[in-house]
Amino acid sequence: MALQIKNGIVVDPKNGISGEKMDIFIKDGKIVEEVKKNCRVIDATGKLVVAGGIDLHAHIAGCKINTGRAMRPEEMRFVRRKSNGLRAAVGRTLLTSPAIGYEYAKMGYTTAVDPATPSLYVIHTHEELDSIPIIDKATLPLFGNWHQVMRYSADKDIEKLKSFVAWVLERTKGYGVKLVNPGGVEAWMYGGNVHTLDDAVPGFGVTPREIITSLIAAVEELNLPHSAHIHCNNLGMPGNYETTMETIKLAKGFENRDRQVLHVTHVQFNAYTGSSWRDIGSGAEEIAKLVNRIESVTIDMGQPIFGHATTMTADCPWQFELHKLAKAKWCNRDIELETGGGIVPYVYRAKNAVNSVQWATGLELGLLVDADKIAISTDYPNGGPFNSYPYIATLLMSKKFRDEEMKKAHPYIEKATSLPSIDAERTIEDIVKMTRVTPARVLGMKNKGHLGTGADGDVAVYDINPMDYNSSNFQAILKALKNPLYTIKSGEIVVKDGDVVSEVWGRTYWVDVRDKTTTELIERDLEEYFNYYTVNRENYGVEERWLQNPLRVMAG
Amino acid sequence: MASKPVAGYGGVIILLVMKPRVDFEVNVEAEITPELAAKPFEEIKQFKVYYGNRLVPLEELFEIEKKGDDEILILEGDFSRVKWIGKSMEKGEVVIKGDIGAHCGAFMKGGKITVEGNADDWLGAEMEGGEIAVRGNTGNLVACPYWGNLKGMKGGRITVYGNAGNYIGEKMCGGEIEIRGDAGDFVGTEMKDGKITIHGNCGYVGGDMKGGEIFIGGSFEVVPAFIKTDDGFIGDVNVKGKGKVKALK
Ligand SMILES: [Zn+2]
Repeated sequence: MALQIKNGIVVDPKNGISGEKMDIFIKDGKIVEEVKKNCRVIDATGKLVVAGGIDLHAHIAGCKINTGRAMRPEEMRFVRRKSNGLRAAVGRTLLTSPAIGYEYAKMGYTTAVDPATPSLYVIHTHEELDSIPIIDKATLPLFGNWHQVMRYSADKDIEKLKSFVAWVLERTKGYGVKLVNPGGVEAWMYGGNVHTLDDAVPGFGVTPREIITSLIAAVEELNLPHSAHIHCNNLGMPGNYETTMETIKLAKGFENRDRQVLHVTHVQFNAYTGSSWRDIGSGAEEIAKLVNRIESVTIDMGQPIFGHATTMTADCPWQFELHKLAKAKWCNRDIELETGGGIVPYVYRAKNAVNSVQWATGLELGLLVDADKIAISTDYPNGGPFNSYPYIATLLMSKKFRDEEMKKAHPYIEKATSLPSIDAERTIEDIVKMTRVTPARVLGMKNKGHLGTGADGDVAVYDINPMDYNSSNFQAILKALKNPLYTIKSGEIVVKDGDVVSEVWGRTYWVDVRDKTTTELIERDLEEYFNYYTVNRENYGVEERWLQNPLRVMAG
Repeated sequence: MASKPVAGYGGVIILLVMKPRVDFEVNVEAEITPELAAKPFEEIKQFKVYYGNRLVPLEELFEIEKKGDDEILILEGDFSRVKWIGKSMEKGEVVIKGDIGAHCGAFMKGGKITVEGNADDWLGAEMEGGEIAVRGNTGNLVACPYWGNLKGMKGGRITVYGNAGNYIGEKMCGGEIEIRGDAGDFVGTEMKDGKITIHGNCGYVGGDMKGGEIFIGGSFEVVPAFIKTDDGFIGDVNVKGKGKVKALK
């Protein structure tokens, strides 16, 4: 049945609507101009009506989160929901697949992208994505340490690289190109790492700079909907903001009319000054200036949340460092010729000076970077649970709330970060950009993040009036953002008054660009490549028919 | 309220006696502490426990008799499929006149549990205080942390007059465990503090041990990462541990 959301106060920045009383109509899962008959009506008088939220970076599926679940049984004692007609949902920071879908819906989110899948195990990623209810999803295969990628980058053979990227995206049903510590994970296979953009990767002679620029070039020539998506070198290390700035500048050599050419992810973890843990500080101000200046770069926050988290990344050398620092259990994995992976449980402590600097640095980025260049994220589950986004949004919207929360943090942040001196408060429109418009543009999902005709019928209604709210009453803001009155996915009401009331199944987006290149170019290389693999070429990857609800995107 | 001593229990005033009505076909998960004994009788009868996956009132499974208001719980008969008795209890006493199921006395903070028969696995798991005595044998994982948790027993005392299974006192941080008979493998794994005494024989002892003391009356083996000293062993050197393993004198 069609749906009418009546008399809400609509904030839809992409369509130039900033707080207008109007009705939104959804029919057959899409936003339409108007529906006259057979329409279910929701009264949203005086309430905020926005598009469904989009998370462009959350590790929600695949062998990493599942290994994390296996090595952290203590996570599974946190019951979020008894089945009550739907499915049981458990997990503290590592949620079960049903819990992931429900928790996103419960804060008005309707789309999430897994940002790092090892292609070899992508079948597992899709099995899990297919088990996540409600939201639309996609996955980005890892390219930055793949032997073929490093070889083609060393040879400066962009044609072959394009062919390889297209082949991988088709085989994995992947959505884009992810790089994690390019070159560093390969170096880790020999117990090392790379420390600058110009260190040579052992065995390949190629540098991180060459890997990054080659992949950007390939992505741009293939015109993928989403740009190269990078987790920078030197993550987590004091002084790493310089590497991050250099990486950001690599985007200058490229141009795209519709979107950025480089998305730098969870920048908080890559924004530290200092030379050791003793003098670590925030480089967020400088990074923010640079990001605001360079048209073709976007970022997400990677905000840590005080409390439990589980770090998981392909960045094996960093995970080894963290395992030693935190004295926590860990898991490390070499994924053949492609990538690696590591998992370490972690607790961010407000009383800890370094953790407090991390917390403040994330918020600085959230306050200083233009709202159309930054998305809210926790790099779930690395910085903490994604369902703390309402908390993050409220911190950005209310100086008073920040002051309250800052009192709990370590006083070292006063000299190591600029957060205490920032008075700015994000508006609701800014937050809508950072959680809807910007991630949709970054991902190249044109039907998402707005409420124009033809957009996906994904809508959230919150109990707050964007034209009349008090930023110092942060409890009210937090409560409203945490408990949407309605979350609507493809025209179906899935959440009412903050609780899941029904379950729908979203789509898995993937990108097919085989017509932009030809596999012939790399045919012989692939034959050779599979001599060194544990699976045959015939058994590599997933078929589209194996996916529950695939949505194939042909690049423009 | 006046309560009379009841014959057969050494003059102890019995306040709540429970006997199974049937042979249980599936496990019963009964998070019952002595505090329940002090509640009104109607409330006690209606107290909900899991029988398999079904929540049922206590009286459906047990014959219940209430004879006063002290916080004492007497369990008569076969409780070997009844789990979680005495979970998180803080005071009072539980006497089990037969066998008891898994997780008995888990998270216990105070009071006393006496098992006259045998106890199943996870006896006194993550216990913080109080006392548990078992006349018969116990299963595995005595005083251990639940999977993934970082601390096992933190305080209190467990005495087992019979034998114990594998994994005794894993990640133990305090308190005392005494096994009068034999124990299995992996005694005091990752132990940090506290004391374990085994009067009989046991298998491997002290893997990744960081601190605390283990005394053994019979035969045992230490993992290779222990250094021999004048009066026993010290280790585990792999984790720079200073745990002591000694013969019981
Ligand atoms: Zn990530």
